[in-house]
Amino acid sequence: MSTTHEAITVPLAKVEQAIRGQMRDLQGEDDRPVQRVRMSNLVIFTNTPEQAAGVRAALPDAVAVHPARVILLLGDGTAVKEEITATVQVTAHRLGKNQQACSELVYLEAGGAAVDRLPFAVRSLVIGDLPVNLWWASNIPPPFGGVLLYELSENAQQIMYDSLGWLEPARGVAATATWLDSVERTTAGRWRVASDLNWRRLKYWRRLLAQALDEGSAPGAAESITELHIEHGPHAVIQAWELTSFFARRLGWQVQAGKVQTGVELTWRFTTRRGEARVRIKRLSEGPPEIKLIRIATAIEKKPCTMRLEAEGPFRLAVMLEGIEGAPRTITVPGITPAELIGRQLSDRERDPVFRESMAVAQVMAQSVLG
Amino acid sequence: MALDPPIGGKAYLPQPCTLVIFGGDGDLAWRKLLPAVYNLNVDGVLPASFATVCFGLPSTEEGKTSNPDDYIRKRAREGIGRFSRQPLDEGHWEDFSRSLFYVPGSFGDARAYAQLTARLEAVDTQFGVPGSRVFYLSIPPFLVQQSVANLREAHMVAAPDEKTAFTRVIVEKPIGTDLDSARAIIRDVAQAFAESQTYRIDHYLGKETVQNLLVLRFANSIFEPLWNAKYIDHVQITVSEEEGLCQYDHSTSPPKITASRAGYYEGVGAMRDMLQNHMLQVLCIVAMEPPHSLSPNVVRDAKANVLHCLRPMTVADVKKHVVRGQYIEGDEHGHLVYGYRKEVRLYYDEIAKKPIPPQSVNSTTETFVAMRMFIDNWRWSGVPFYLRTGKRLPKRVSEVAIQFKEVPQVLFNNKPEIPLEPTVLTLRVQPEEGLSMRLVSKLPGPKVRLFPVQMEFNYSSSFGKTSPEAYERLILDVMAEDATNFMRADAVEAAWKFVMPVLEQWKSERVLDLPEYQCGTWGPLQADKLIEDDGREWRSL
Repeated sequence: MSTTHEAITVPLAKVEQAIRGQMRDLQGEDDRPVQRVRMSNLVIFTNTPEQAAGVRAALPDAVAVHPARVILLLGDGTAVKEEITATVQVTAHRLGKNQQACSELVYLEAGGAAVDRLPFAVRSLVIGDLPVNLWWASNIPPPFGGVLLYELSENAQQIMYDSLGWLEPARGVAATATWLDSVERTTAGRWRVASDLNWRRLKYWRRLLAQALDEGSAPGAAESITELHIEHGPHAVIQAWELTSFFARRLGWQVQAGKVQTGVELTWRFTTRRGEARVRIKRLSEGPPEIKLIRIATAIEKKPCTMRLEAEGPFRLAVMLEGIEGAPRTITVPGITPAELIGRQLSDRERDPVFRESMAVAQVMAQSVLG
Repeated sequence: MALDPPIGGKAYLPQPCTLVIFGGDGDLAWRKLLPAVYNLNVDGVLPASFATVCFGLPSTEEGKTSNPDDYIRKRAREGIGRFSRQPLDEGHWEDFSRSLFYVPGSFGDARAYAQLTARLEAVDTQFGVPGSRVFYLSIPPFLVQQSVANLREAHMVAAPDEKTAFTRVIVEKPIGTDLDSARAIIRDVAQAFAESQTYRIDHYLGKETVQNLLVLRFANSIFEPLWNAKYIDHVQITVSEEEGLCQYDHSTSPPKITASRAGYYEGVGAMRDMLQNHMLQVLCIVAMEPPHSLSPNVVRDAKANVLHCLRPMTVADVKKHVVRGQYIEGDEHGHLVYGYRKEVRLYYDEIAKKPIPPQSVNSTTETFVAMRMFIDNWRWSGVPFYLRTGKRLPKRVSEVAIQFKEVPQVLFNNKPEIPLEPTVLTLRVQPEEGLSMRLVSKLPGPKVRLFPVQMEFNYSSSFGKTSPEAYERLILDVMAEDATNFMRADAVEAAWKFVMPVLEQWKSERVLDLPEYQCGTWGPLQADKLIEDDGREWRSL
């Protein structure tokens, strides 16, 4: 059970004081010390009020998975009011019978030129000695985030972004692979990784693909692929793209050529170890922003077949061979809300070499369609 | 809340006396000293025979025309209302204010001392004080010599062995602006007061966390065995201030300056203002050998020994180990704030209303210093101590961080995919006094994933009340004749000796522009490079 204090707007210099005051209010008559729960600082950048509202709605569940001091930024360069306003809100979560733990949200809104001053405010508000996670929740791809992103990320150990819904996918993907090279650091003490939430969404698809093409259960299938077809709902094109690049990287495919029909489909030709494979990513006109179906034309033990991978209800992914009777093989997908997805990513600070390798392939794919 | 006696067997008993504050109508008295005495009154730790007498010229027009006692009580009430740790309570205020007096007069005027003597004798009678005095010199260094000489001439200083009608003197920082001037002040004070009567105050040494350092190190068996070069990778001491020289009224555009410390700070700089005194004193407590007792001179010997072991700097060392910087225009709490040079100029134009001195036009006064230093003794051989201090940094933080060495490159420390933060023990001096220890823990779940966690101890949340202000503790220490937390003359000199090569090198350089940093950032890039060259980084605060 949790209790949330009324949000209060305060001068920037009084934020810490206001947080302490709200904690005292929520503590009530209890004389036990207030426990502040926080594993990290979570700095979130949004650039429209709608994005900020969406993030704010997801926050309680996200910090339940990964308690953090949340500094939510709305930097709206089009807003007229050129100042930074700060709103503070503390939530107390009941721990057992008598104890409660508090977590805090600081919401900073900046308009016009004041957007550029947000990094100064963040520097003064992050809690020292805790990891800093930056969630770039804007739909502007991070390579185009400019000085603002650079400054916000100066002490971040993880930069999360979400490629879901990028307006120019090919351009975004092409630039992101290069950006990842510049932003990730692996030296001790200066650690920083970048993570795409879309990549995390693919976790179970990737697992199922790997198991479906495993040499033990489908001999020769991985090397015999001639066609890959992915259908996705609106805004999920980059999910399909990243899945394709993962696929190509694992199988050692080389990009030959690509073509785009904006809003309809993307196609590529790859050189494989045994010849050529075609990939088609098709956008469905409606449905949730996720991968709907994967079809793989291949051969198992030299017998041509088509694998079909698709969701079987909300908690399972299934793979089956088209035209062959039999129970599908399935893996369970834990029901993960968007907030939980974020919460889990916050705790996951390991550099993911598979992601980086896949993004390198994704970049080549992007360059082939951009020309 | 009673202030605890120091650890150890010696009785800690504040003795009856009158506290005489030179500069009693000044800024320090208003903000810190009078609120401190008021809090001591509220906490019930002052002796029954006690009074406070302020001395010096009034700082306001009102002070020149009003009844002196009424005036100082009004000022004190205002200061207590604004700055006191505990809220003003009418009952306690009544008790405090009736023992608060003011003798207006110039420090150079012998007649004023006669008036002061007469008033003190009257106060002695009124409050049963046995003629004992604590003189608090809350005055600029250039007035010390004159004031001390006049106290001596007026026969206001008792012999050092006088136990009942004793006289003690508290000398505020800065103790000089270089080694020679520090020696001059020490010498001037010594003409009237013996070393045993002299208490050179550094309020950092009165802070709970700083005092707790001794307890932490020597009352817990787990730390001292690790407190050496074998286990400690490096130490960082940071004093970061949000404030710059000026305060602003941001309701106007452009913002208007409402107050400025440029008159004091310009030409002084961060090295003299912070590093030479506060930070080196804290360093001494962190690095000292275990004293064989807690008697003041034993502890002070141990601290002084650290200063004697600091590796002296050559010209080349200064260039390699020290970075200075000056802030330029930037941001503070969402508002534009000016750069240092502009603030100095505005101070002379708008507040002092006099021409800016030529050397201040393109001032090279440093508002930031970062330094790498070494203590050449057995315990600390090869362990770098990184000190940094600056104004207009993103937040107000003072802390000591002990970073332990990394674990061997096996098990959890051999994969570049898994970051492994080193263990760090942090002692926070301000704003929230306490300590924390950063450890690495496994995240819940089937995979071995590591995540840094903090064990925290916070004074206010653990003990339920705010800690006494440093000045409260230190004033009481003087009344109790406990000099442990005060700087002895030899330690002051040793600290100056260490920084003099840096100051002299800076003075000899013809520098037109110092490394710059924007207000609201963590200092110049050169400071990052200083520590990154060693494969380390400044802590995120």
